[in-house]
Amino acid sequence: MTEQLSALVDNEIELADAEHLLTSMQANSPAAEAWSRFHLIGDVMRGTPTLSADFKANLMAKIDMEPTVLAPNAAWLKSAPKGNDNASKSGGQQIAWSMAASFAAILVVGFMVLQAQVADPSLNTSLAAAETTIPSNAEAIPAEYLTAHQSSAPSSTSYYIQPASYPH
Amino acid sequence: MVSLSGQAGSSDQWQMLQKMAVAAHVLNYQGIFVCQTGAQSKSVEIKHIYNGHDEFARNVVLDGSPREVFNQSGDVIIYNPKNEKIVIEKRRGQNMFPAILPTDLDNIKANYSLKLGEIERVADRQAQILILESKDNLRYSYKFWVDSEYGLLLKSVMLNNRNEALDSMAFTQLTLIKSMELDWYQPKIDSKKAYVMEDVNTIADKQDSPHWRLKGLPEGFVKVEQMMRAVKGKTWPVTHVIFSDGLASVSLFIEPLENGIKPRNGRSLVGNTSFYANVAGNLQITVVGEVPEVTVAKIAHAVVFVK
Repeated sequence: MTEQLSALVDNEIELADAEHLLTSMQANSPAAEAWSRFHLIGDVMRGTPTLSADFKANLMAKIDMEPTVLAPNAAWLKSAPKGNDNASKSGGQQIAWSMAASFAAILVVGFMVLQAQVADPSLNTSLAAAETTIPSNAEAIPAEYLTAHQSSAPSSTSYYIQPASYPH
Repeated sequence: MVSLSGQAGSSDQWQMLQKMAVAAHVLNYQGIFVCQTGAQSKSVEIKHIYNGHDEFARNVVLDGSPREVFNQSGDVIIYNPKNEKIVIEKRRGQNMFPAILPTDLDNIKANYSLKLGEIERVADRQAQILILESKDNLRYSYKFWVDSEYGLLLKSVMLNNRNEALDSMAFTQLTLIKSMELDWYQPKIDSKKAYVMEDVNTIADKQDSPHWRLKGLPEGFVKVEQMMRAVKGKTWPVTHVIFSDGLASVSLFIEPLENGIKPRNGRSLVGNTSFYANVAGNLQITVVGEVPEVTVAKIAHAVVFVK
């Protein structure tokens, strides 16, 4: 899979084949166990649209590292507020926020395919292209978007009261 | 009071609001406030300390699930019990009661007028009422009860243009404190439960997309953040753009229409939250925010599809 991803980044395989790659990454990814620094991924991603050499090298290195970088709990335990047995912590410390490299890879591949898909005029031919619809029908707020909104842009009440649809 | 020309509300009133915006950050206090939205209400215990450099606030929800919200100078960590686990969530600390206003009021002054109300008693304190009234129909208005002595916000109510309360937060008990001890700034650990970090499912997105641009955003709303987000049930990442007018935030989600999936067209208003979904070219547009319906519609229609 790593080879395929590498080829995709180098434009050696067709984006049309990437959906399969994406699915296999999502299925195989040990994302929950593999942690790596968020900002490194973020930095290299800012090198797009033509993904930089650094990006590829870093991403591949991260993915190779994944099985060996374990124990996410240890990362936050070191810096997060701890139990009552250690009352002194918390002060000026920051939690080292991190994410799985394989998750970043999924986003990158997804993003590349997405860009290609939106640009493809053969898709969605049943729709009048570039037309904007104006909805009039009432529809419940989809829970996944409400949750995403509240996690990135919380209102003052949403810190304490979550909608009934919020997943528990 | 004499009104200054060109500014709605006297400079004295704006000064009072400025003092209120700062007081929540620099005073040391503890108490209990009640947070209400729609039919739901929760009591929250708050303790807040400012040591001259950093702010520390702990908010413990006293009703129902014992969620704890820690805010260190805007970095928020939530310990959220879910079934047998405690999920640790990271949030952007903004508009947290009683610090619901930004300390820079320029954008607020541009979009709101300010009026002086009555004096009332809240949480055993004397409070001056200030009414922050939206100049247009694009945002909600607020009524603030401000401690006459210390300037701290004691009660806040968000109102629609029919003067109906959409949500409110109000102290029922409040005391100022002197101690700078921080031994309380830690979660109550339940050794029987597993503590897990919330999955990170976003990544910063600084690039402009070649497939859409924004044109004609509602007055006063500016883009504050853009990211790619993995959304449950979606094959591809969704672009998530956040707009703010200094008080309210709106999320715009942009994603390609997927073959075989019916495009979503709809709108609704539930409590303080408006929702709007439509299609622009090959893009599915979804907008959610604590603003009137017209504002989410305007943001959705500001997305121009570029072939």
